[in-house]
Amino acid sequence: MSEKSFSDVEFGEDLPTFEPDTSLANVTKFAMAAKMFNNRFTDHEAARKQGLPGAIVPGIMSQAILVAMVHRWASNATLEKIDTIFRAPVLVDMPHAVSGVVTDMDEEEQRIEIDLTLENAEGETRVLGTATVRLS
Amino acid sequence: MILDLHAHSIKSDDGRAKVENYCQWIRRKELPIDGFVLTEHRLFDFDSDYQPLADEFDLCILKGSEVETDYGHVLVFGVSQELMDALDFTSIRLPLARVLEETERHDAIAVPCHPGRTRVGMCAHVEERGIVPGVRIIELYNGGSRGREDAAAHLLAEENGYQGIGGSDAHIVSHIGRCATRFPGPVDGEASLVEALRSLDFEAVTWK
Repeated sequence: MSEKSFSDVEFGEDLPTFEPDTSLANVTKFAMAAKMFNNRFTDHEAARKQGLPGAIVPGIMSQAILVAMVHRWASNATLEKIDTIFRAPVLVDMPHAVSGVVTDMDEEEQRIEIDLTLENAEGETRVLGTATVRLS
Repeated sequence: MILDLHAHSIKSDDGRAKVENYCQWIRRKELPIDGFVLTEHRLFDFDSDYQPLADEFDLCILKGSEVETDYGHVLVFGVSQELMDALDFTSIRLPLARVLEETERHDAIAVPCHPGRTRVGMCAHVEERGIVPGVRIIELYNGGSRGREDAAAHLLAEENGYQGIGGSDAHIVSHIGRCATRFPGPVDGEASLVEALRSLDFEAVTWK
């Protein structure tokens, strides 16, 4: 992780991709901390009984993964807004990758917009969003 | 000429991309498309003039709409005030047969999009209630659809002899140009796009 200034950034710049930890152990830890006790997040069998393909990552955890992407890229980034679209469930214990790219730079306001995408191993977008950040 | 026939800007309720950023993105990433069509959800954007951006970036920027029907979502190209007077674009359950009839009457054309998707696509409705006469074109490649959803679209097209287009269905900047439609000649306006689509001489392309 490193700090960045507005002048370090370029339109179209890719943020370093990373694979979030979506293991059952980690998701369970998150769900318990967030007091999300529905077992669709923590138990594959229980999730299947609810008609899901397996346990799923809570939406706010997916959103947190997108935010983590921004801070892995620029630890000093102030997140002003994160706008998230949930396209399909993020399945627990399945590999995923997060990517991000700079898609708008407002020099006057010193604001940067970043497209963020969480994809599964098949390259299917599960969650996407845009973040508005300021680099101080 | 290659056009992405399905994109949303911030004028759509779930669109997050500014049109200028689409243009910058296409040029910065050297995407092999010559332009795109803004197909905003349930509306037609009469107010915005994108010609200055089109000139600045040497891109073709056209406008259409994505309406919602009893057979899923449908792209409409060649929208006019008269067509909007005839069809309530804000409705979420327009009869597809009526959309096809009115678009034909008003020199426009309707193209069911992402047909393989559940609820908002045509395939499942066709399975339940049969085909609707008058469909000639469907969206074969959609940038937001999953592999099996595009495969379902291809099957529907094969079974019914539909021609197919491609569109990214971009809602964020970096998704523009993932899929598009290649035309053999130039397209320089909405009327010209309708004419090119009615000729059925084009092909869907994808870079997904």
